[in-house]
Amino acid sequence: MSSNEIETDSAKIRSEKILEVIMSYARLDFSEKTIISDKADVYDAIGAGVNMLGEELKSSVVSLREKEQLLREIHHRVKNNMQIISSLLNLQTHNVKDRDFLSLITESRNRINSMALVHEMLYATTDFSKINFKDYTTTLCKSIYQSYKKPDMKINFFIHIPVNISLEIDTMIHLGMILNEIISNSLKYAFDTNEGTISVLLNQMNSKYFLSVEDDGKGLPLGFNQEKDGNLGMQLIHMLTEQLNGSMKMESSSGVIYKIEF
Amino acid sequence: MQVPDNCQIYDLTCYWTWMGSDGIGRTKVKPRAEVTITESMENSAAVNRLYTTKKFPLLIDARNIKSISKEARDFFSIQNRSTNINSFAVIIDSPLSRIIGNFFMGLNKPSVPAKLFNNEQDAIMWLKQYL
Repeated sequence: MSSNEIETDSAKIRSEKILEVIMSYARLDFSEKTIISDKADVYDAIGAGVNMLGEELKSSVVSLREKEQLLREIHHRVKNNMQIISSLLNLQTHNVKDRDFLSLITESRNRINSMALVHEMLYATTDFSKINFKDYTTTLCKSIYQSYKKPDMKINFFIHIPVNISLEIDTMIHLGMILNEIISNSLKYAFDTNEGTISVLLNQMNSKYFLSVEDDGKGLPLGFNQEKDGNLGMQLIHMLTEQLNGSMKMESSSGVIYKIEF
Repeated sequence: MQVPDNCQIYDLTCYWTWMGSDGIGRTKVKPRAEVTITESMENSAAVNRLYTTKKFPLLIDARNIKSISKEARDFFSIQNRSTNINSFAVIIDSPLSRIIGNFFMGLNKPSVPAKLFNNEQDAIMWLKQYL
């Protein structure tokens, strides 16, 4: 074998070694490093560059994982703290018979729970920034239903939301509160027979979302005036919709339908 | 860069370090040196011992370097620590030293003025503004 052939072979082996290390870095495996010879040639330079890039990448990956862990911990703690507040409110209701007071506590607990659910779901995500709207709404509806459910109550939830819609935490907190108010109102006032359906639909057109929440209950009382007769829940729905830079319409015939555009 | 024999030289694991008669500190990497945090701290202590009354520029001959660890690069970038140097120039020539030098400057962002050079004369000319 000539000296040229030996050199070519050596170059090939060294290139392959460097490639192997690059591939292991691509898999975020930083256990390998290229071996730098005493030649200080181009292969050594490339190898040293790859080694240093690997070190920097490893440092960034570790730092990112630490931050993710911290963020996960924060969401977990926020959720836990909210649950503690909710439990404290529940404790206040012991031995209380006043129905108005009990109702107020239930409403407050549900509001807190709708926010805690956002943090609970963020805790389980990988990017900590967005929540799947369908999953959230499904879980929230179950939770609100449990808090208002009477033994003979049978309400069906029809949730039609595209599975691919995920929204930012701030938007989700607002929408969660809005959904909580609307669904709570329906469960409290809409159904005389304790049977019915609540539908939640979401559509997206370009950058706009169209949310509609509808029940097939008895509808609003004749002469109902949103501004005059609306409770805190109604005020919250208006305020939160405005904060989403959205608009809200409420219609009532055989049931009540809320149409929110944001 | 010649290591002189007429002044005090710190003969370290990976470096020779001394103060030049022109007031510019010098540190020369030993052949095939593999610099880790230990050697970088050892050299930093020696460089700081060159201090007399005012901060000074430092000339680093890195032409013989074989490798430098991330911890050592971070340390040499002088972020969040006190130092007696007010600038440094790094001499590089081989492909290996050029990669290491550029990598250090690009990613580790030294906190004092720093520049890479291919030869000693240009490096000294640049450092003189910091005397």
